[in-house]
This record gives sequence, C-alpha cells and structure tokens, in this order.
Amino acid sequence: MAGHNESGKKKSSEAANDLQTFSAENLQNNMKVIYYSQTFLSIVGGVIAGILGFKGLAGFILYFLIMAISSVGLIAKAKFSVHSYFDCWNRIIFDGFFGGLMSFVLFWTFAYDIVHIF
Amino acid sequence: MGLGFLIGAFGVLILAHAAFSTIQYRGLLKILEEEFSGPPVNVIVELLLALSFCMWAALTAAGKFLSVHHHSEENRIVSLPANMDFLIFNHRGKVFSPGTDMRLKH
Repeated sequence: MAGHNESGKKKSSEAANDLQTFSAENLQNNMKVIYYSQTFLSIVGGVIAGILGFKGLAGFILYFLIMAISSVGLIAKAKFSVHSYFDCWNRIIFDGFFGGLMSFVLFWTFAYDIVHIF
Repeated sequence: MGLGFLIGAFGVLILAHAAFSTIQYRGLLKILEEEFSGPPVNVIVELLLALSFCMWAALTAAGKFLSVHHHSEENRIVSLPANMDFLIFNHRGKVFSPGTDMRLKH
C-alpha cells in the first residue's frame, strides 16, 4: 500500500552502519507478546499459590520462580539470539517482572479465599 | 494458534479441577478434625500438569517474534509511494552512510 511501511522498513546498506536502527513496530509487537505471556503466567501462578495454601514469603518465591522460568522460555522462543528481536536484554528479563506482580497477588488472594476460607 | 488456545484452556480446566479437589479435601479434613498441611499428592501432580500446559500455551499462543533488523530476510519488502509526485528525499534516512558498494543485480 502507498507509504504505510515508512516507519520501519527502510532498506539499510549492508556495509557497517554506525547507527543502530530498529523496526519499531516489530519491537512493539515483540514487547506485546512478552506482556501477554507474562501476564497470563502470573495469573495462573497466583491461582496455583492460592490452591497450595501459601502464605507470606513462599508465594512471592513461587512468583519469582515462575517469572524466571518464563524468561528462560521466552529467550528460548527467541532462539537465544536476543539481539535480533529486541534492542537490549532488559526488555526480556526485567520489564515484565513487576508488572505481573499485582495480578499475581490478586489471583492468589482470590484463589486462597475460595479454596481455604469459604 | 488454535492449538495453543486449546492447550491453555485445558490447563485452566485442570487447574479448576484441582481447586475443587482441594475444597473437597478440606471438607474431609474438617470432618476428621485435622490440620491442613498441604494438598494431597494427586492435586500437586495436577497443579504441575496445569502449570506446564499453561506455560506451553503462554509461550506459543501469544504470537510470533518478528525480527527488528531492517536487513533480515522477513523484512525485505520496501514499498514506494504509489504517487511519485510526493516522494521526498530530505528525511532522516540521510544519516545512513551511502552504500557506495551496492551494484545493480541482474
């Protein structure tokens, strides 16, 4: 279509490019994929923590364990060449870590209440 | 994509079943007047199974990773504006070094 690809798809020369440029829309797509994966896994982890009856620190340890496993899984999904899908390591390791924490705690208390209290 | 959703839904179903089993187990413990120390073994197995299904679904059904490099194989298509009157050259692309070693390929 006329001109709708301008933002991302410039053909840069194969010679050594001083500037690092990225296709921004693809980077956003990758960030969206990570966000969906980690949110879903933190919800599932919250329900599991509630069913198991974890109280206090043990639940948070479970959360960090699940996030670590999901980070490893995402790195494997990117075929271990993180730089061809993201611009730095932080995106795949640190960005989603605390975003899912609130959902985790919400579903943790929800499941704990349903299973153990009512 | 469809298979990922199915496996994710299946994992959530197993999780719900494990929750029901735990609720029944607690009811049983109340009758026997014992303390709840942990869910029974079959519930733990179900939870591990549900976790692995959901993890697989989360990693595969969320979408594909697209390459961010401009010169990778899947980003090869360059489109020019259909109306050549408005084709401009004074844009940010001028900071790229000119490819003086590029030749026309036949």
